Amino acid sequence: MEELKLQLKKQIISALNLLDMTPDDIDNSAPLFNEGLGLDSIDALEIVMILDKNYGIKFADKEQSKLALKSIDSLAEYVSAHRTK
Amino acid sequence: MKEYIVEISPNGCLICGEPLDCEKTGADLLTELYGKLVGDYPKFYKMDSMSRLAFIASELVLRQEGKPRFTPNETRKIILANNRASLHTDLKYNATINKKDYYPSPSLFVYTLPNIATGEIAIRNKYYGESCFLVLENEEHFIKVLKTIPLESDALVGWVEYNNDTDYKCIMWIEKP
Amino acid sequence: MVPLLRVLETIIKISDNIYSPLGNTTEENFSAVMSGISGLKKYYDMFDCVESFTASAMPTRMTFTQMCIESVSQALLGTDIDTTSANVIFVFSTTKGEDLQLWEPAVAVTRHFGNKNLPVIVSNACISGVSAQIMASRLLTAGIYKTAVVIGCDVLSKFIVSGFQSLKALSAEKCRPFAPDRDGLNLGEAAACMILSAVSESKNPNGWIYEVGSMHNDANHISGPSRTAEGSYRCLTDCLDKCNIENLAFISVHGTGTAYNDDMETLALHRAGLESKPILALKVYYGHTLGATGILETIISMQAVEKCMLPTTRTGIHGNSFIKMLSGFGGCNAAVRWSLKK
Repeated sequence: MEELKLQLKKQIISALNLLDMTPDDIDNSAPLFNEGLGLDSIDALEIVMILDKNYGIKFADKEQSKLALKSIDSLAEYVSAHRTK
Repeated sequence: MKEYIVEISPNGCLICGEPLDCEKTGADLLTELYGKLVGDYPKFYKMDSMSRLAFIASELVLRQEGKPRFTPNETRKIILANNRASLHTDLKYNATINKKDYYPSPSLFVYTLPNIATGEIAIRNKYYGESCFLVLENEEHFIKVLKTIPLESDALVGWVEYNNDTDYKCIMWIEKP
Repeated sequence: MVPLLRVLETIIKISDNIYSPLGNTTEENFSAVMSGISGLKKYYDMFDCVESFTASAMPTRMTFTQMCIESVSQALLGTDIDTTSANVIFVFSTTKGEDLQLWEPAVAVTRHFGNKNLPVIVSNACISGVSAQIMASRLLTAGIYKTAVVIGCDVLSKFIVSGFQSLKALSAEKCRPFAPDRDGLNLGEAAACMILSAVSESKNPNGWIYEVGSMHNDANHISGPSRTAEGSYRCLTDCLDKCNIENLAFISVHGTGTAYNDDMETLALHRAGLESKPILALKVYYGHTLGATGILETIISMQAVEKCMLPTTRTGIHGNSFIKMLSGFGGCNAAVRWSLKK
């Protein structure tokens, strides 16, 4: 699980061009959006696209993706339970 | 009347004709300039290449101008132009919609409009005035069209083209009525 | 650039055309809208996009250049304009042109009509069609040209459809502007052309008169409208300058059918004190035609004022002027006000 979390952080940093950050700067339990990492709605869509591309994950609706994208912890949990690749 | 002219190319940066001390070239030049002269706007890293170029040039022009920054400005116009619109980023986005590897990137797609660069500058500086992007033949053509735009106050004006990391050009200045 | 001079020239509309899935002439288009005919259809495998989408597409695939040439040719019919003259300028409004090229196809269209001037292309995302009218009026007011051929066009492509899908901005069904359950926009394709001319004020010209145009940035976000409608509100305020509100028949809104856009426009109209005016929203008929939108919707608005009838609801309207407003990516907003002088 820790390895998956690190992998996800690296993918997010590279896809969102957060070049001034390292995986260590992202707290596993901190919110990814708004007050946390300060990501916006386009970033959320980009993360959803990466999850599809890298893990074959397709969200049924917005609410489902919202819950999964709360933090790195919730994201890793969702990915390990639903990944198809 | 043109004031505070800034020119940036992959080989360096000129401020009113005076070269600025830089170590890097190409795309790295823009990140070097950001690190040295701005540093407090991480959104820079999320911008596409053309917006980065326009953003850095605007920062250099406005630093020279020396007026108080980031306070709402109702009248300042931003008028940018080039000949290829957002082609550099368009091609990057196009690569994400291949039939074999179809994962359209939303964060690339939003930058496939050239006027996003004008928006980035307006957001950074709280400029509520007009923002406009024109596609024209060359700089000479741009100067001719600019003469028809009514100015109530100073405008931020620039020719911004980004063909690739070793071929780009920006000249930006404050145009006074 | 020139300082603000007193405008001695009046800008009038000489002719226009809409070339769309609803018809090849302005008249055909207006009567289709009056009859409640929509160009929107569901497409399942167009462009190999993974998800199906609803859009308003031409019956056969046409290029940007072909669409522009058809529309300009139609608009020129019945006028005595010599497009080869040096005092005619072509002004384009487009976001993606043809195969991602904007300059070359615009020059090709200009040369097709024998015009040797360099065209001016406005590429301000969704507001381009209104921006192009503003730019054309400036080129005419500056006295360099007598006539401007203003053309807005975008064609549907895999690029555009996949991009809007990636932003989750499209409704799978027909869009529902201002409806509580609206869930996104539909795309469309069309070309629309307005021919504008500068006439000396002393000649007291009749017909459609360009009163004022305005552009403002939200200074808020590159892909989302301002929650407080900053730019749009400022555009409306500018358009109300020297305007007798009694004579304002309606506001032709953007009305894309996305949750944020329609909320923002509602707020802008309230802030500008225009909440009691009727609105005209046309995306249900055409989808969002990007570079064509501003010109197409201005032309339909003119028809509505001429016929004293809102085509969408078939209700009577009073007043001889209207405002066309738009907002787009990059935080840009634009509005123009036209009035009909009889």
